[in-house]
Amino acid sequence: MLKAGFIGMGRMGITHFSILNTHPSVKIVAICDQSKVMLNIFKKYLDVAIFSDYKKMIEKSGLDFVIISTPPDSHPEIVRTAIAHNLHTFVEKPFAINVAQGKEVLDRFNGKFLVNQVGYVNRFNDVFLQVKNLLDHNLIGEIKNFKFEMHGCTVLKDAKSGWRGKKSLGGGCMYEFASHCIDLVIYLIGEPDKVGGSILQSIFSSDVEDLVASTFIYDSGISGTIFVNWSDGSYRKPTNTIEIFGTKGKILADKHAYKIFLREADELSGFHQGWNTRYITDFAKSVRFYVRGNEFTRQLDYFIDFIEQRDSNNINSFAEALKTDIIIDKIIKDYEERAK
Amino acid sequence: MMDRIIFGDNQFFGINHMSEEKAQALSEKFRDLKAITNVIDAAYDCGIHAFMLNTNERAKEICDHLRSQSSLYNDLRLYPSMPYAHKYAGLVAEKGIFGAVKEVIISDNRAGTILGILTRGSQLFFTRDMTKVMELLIDAEMKVFRGLDVKVIFLQNIVTDLLLGYQVKDVFIAFVSYIKEKYGVEAGFVTMNLPGLVNFLLECGIENPIVCSSINKIGHLMNPDKEIYEKAISEKKFRPIAMSIFGSGSVKPKEAVEYVCRQPNIKSIVFGASSREHIEETKQLIESSFG
Repeated sequence: MLKAGFIGMGRMGITHFSILNTHPSVKIVAICDQSKVMLNIFKKYLDVAIFSDYKKMIEKSGLDFVIISTPPDSHPEIVRTAIAHNLHTFVEKPFAINVAQGKEVLDRFNGKFLVNQVGYVNRFNDVFLQVKNLLDHNLIGEIKNFKFEMHGCTVLKDAKSGWRGKKSLGGGCMYEFASHCIDLVIYLIGEPDKVGGSILQSIFSSDVEDLVASTFIYDSGISGTIFVNWSDGSYRKPTNTIEIFGTKGKILADKHAYKIFLREADELSGFHQGWNTRYITDFAKSVRFYVRGNEFTRQLDYFIDFIEQRDSNNINSFAEALKTDIIIDKIIKDYEERAK
Repeated sequence: MMDRIIFGDNQFFGINHMSEEKAQALSEKFRDLKAITNVIDAAYDCGIHAFMLNTNERAKEICDHLRSQSSLYNDLRLYPSMPYAHKYAGLVAEKGIFGAVKEVIISDNRAGTILGILTRGSQLFFTRDMTKVMELLIDAEMKVFRGLDVKVIFLQNIVTDLLLGYQVKDVFIAFVSYIKEKYGVEAGFVTMNLPGLVNFLLECGIENPIVCSSINKIGHLMNPDKEIYEKAISEKKFRPIAMSIFGSGSVKPKEAVEYVCRQPNIKSIVFGASSREHIEETKQLIESSFG
C-alpha cells in the first residue's frame, strides 16, 4: 500500500481525497489544513492523523506521496519539502506563480526518481484526448491557427474574502482559469514563441483580473488566440471550447463533443468529407469510481500507476506545467509593458 | 410503492450531458416559468403524476406554481433531489466551504428565525457535529417543497459520490433516518457508481435502499462498467431507479426502453422530455415494455 498525505482540504483536496480513498493501492494516513473545523471533522469520522503544519505531517507520517491542493503561492515551498523527503508529489495547478521559483524547485529533483504531476485535468478529458489523437494522426493537415476559449460564472461579484480574489495568493482568472486554457494549447499545439496584444481586464474583482486574452505567435507560422472570462453569467459551469484550423480541415471541440470538418474523406478513421460530429457518449470510458467527472479519477489513477510502475515519464509533470507558468509570465509582462 | 414513471427536470435547467449547444437552447426555451409548467401539464395530462425536482433556483417558482394551482394537481407526487451543487460552487469559491454552508442555512430561513439559527449554527459549525449541520442543510433545501406531496427525498449524485469516497457509514445512516423521522418519507440516493454504492448502503444496514443511477444500453455514466451494474441489479436487494436511459440521446427510444425493462427489479424510470409528443411516445414505450 502506498501511504498518502493530503495538504489543503478545500474544494479540490476534498475531491481528491474521495477519489484516492477508494483506490485499492492507497492508504491515506494524514491530512493537513489551516481550518480547525475541517481537521476536527476528519478526526471524528476518518482514521487519519491531522496536522496544521505540513512539515510536521511530512516528517512524522512515513508517507510515499503527497497531494497538494493549497493556494498557488504556497506550492514551491511545500513541494521543496516534499522533494527533500523523497515523496512523489501531485500538486494542483498552477505549478508556481513565480517562474524562477518553479525552475529552482525543478532543479531540486537532481536525478531523484520521483513522480511529479500537476492537476491540469483537461488532459484526461475524453474529448480532448480524442482531439489529441486526431492531431497526432495529422487528420487536419498542417495546423495554421487556433482559437481556445474558456468561460465560466465563478466570479460575478468582488470576491474579496477568498484566496481566489487575491493576487498575492495566486488568485485571479489567470491562475485559476486561463492556466487550464494555456495548458491545453501547450498540450495540443505546443508552446508559443511570442505572445502579443495581451489583455488582463477586471470586470467585478478589485484585486485581480476577470478576463485574460492574448495572441500566441509561433516561429513555425502558427498563430492563435486565447480568450478566458470567469465572470460570464451566461455559463452554468466552466466551459472550454477550442477551434483548430489546419490545411486539410478543422476541429471544434468542448468537453462534451467534437466536430471535425475534412476537405476530403478519411476512410481509415471513418470520417466523411465535410462535417463529422462525435459526442462524448460515442467514446467516453468509464472509471473505477466517479466523482465530479471521470477525468478527475483518471488523472489521479494515472499518477498512482506511475508511482507503482516506477516510471516518472508521465504527462503533466512539473517540467511540463512550468511551460504554462512561463507563458503566463509572458502574458502578464506583455500586458504591463503596454499599460505603462 | 414508488411510481413506475417519474418525470425528470434536467431539460428545464439547460442540462444536457451530450452537447453544450443543446443545453443553451434548452435554457432559452425554458426561460419562462410558463414554458416549464406547460410541459409539466402535458406530462400530468398524459397520466404521469410523479416529478423529480432538483432544489435549484427554479424549483421555488415551480413549487409556488404547483401550490397556487393545487386543484389542478391534486394527485401530484414529488421526488426532490438535493442539494443543487452548482448553486454552491460559486458560494464556495467566494466564502469557502463553511462560509457557504452557513450562508445557505441562514439565507433560506426567515428573518425571525435567523438569529436563533445563527447562534445555534455558529456553535455547531465550530464543533464536530456534522449530523446537525446536515439536518439544517436538509431543512433549508426542503423549504421550497412545503405543503406538497413528497414521496422520496434523494441525495444528489455529486454529494452522494463524494461522500461514498469517504466511506463514512454514519453520514448515510443519519441521512436516511433524518428524512424518515422529520419528513416521514424514504431517502434515496442518486449516483454514478451504483454497484459500489449499493454494496456500501447494504453494509451500512440500510435495507432495500432506493438508488437512482444512469442505466442505459451504451454504458454511459455507468461506473465501473455496464456488466457490473447488470450483475448488481440482478443480485442485490435494493430498489433501482433508472435515469439517462437514452444515454443523452444516443440510444434509440425503443432500444433504450427495451434494454432497461430487460433488467430485473427496476422499480422506476426517470425520463425528461420537452414536448407533449415525446412524453406520450416515451410513456407508451415504457408501459408496453414494463408490463
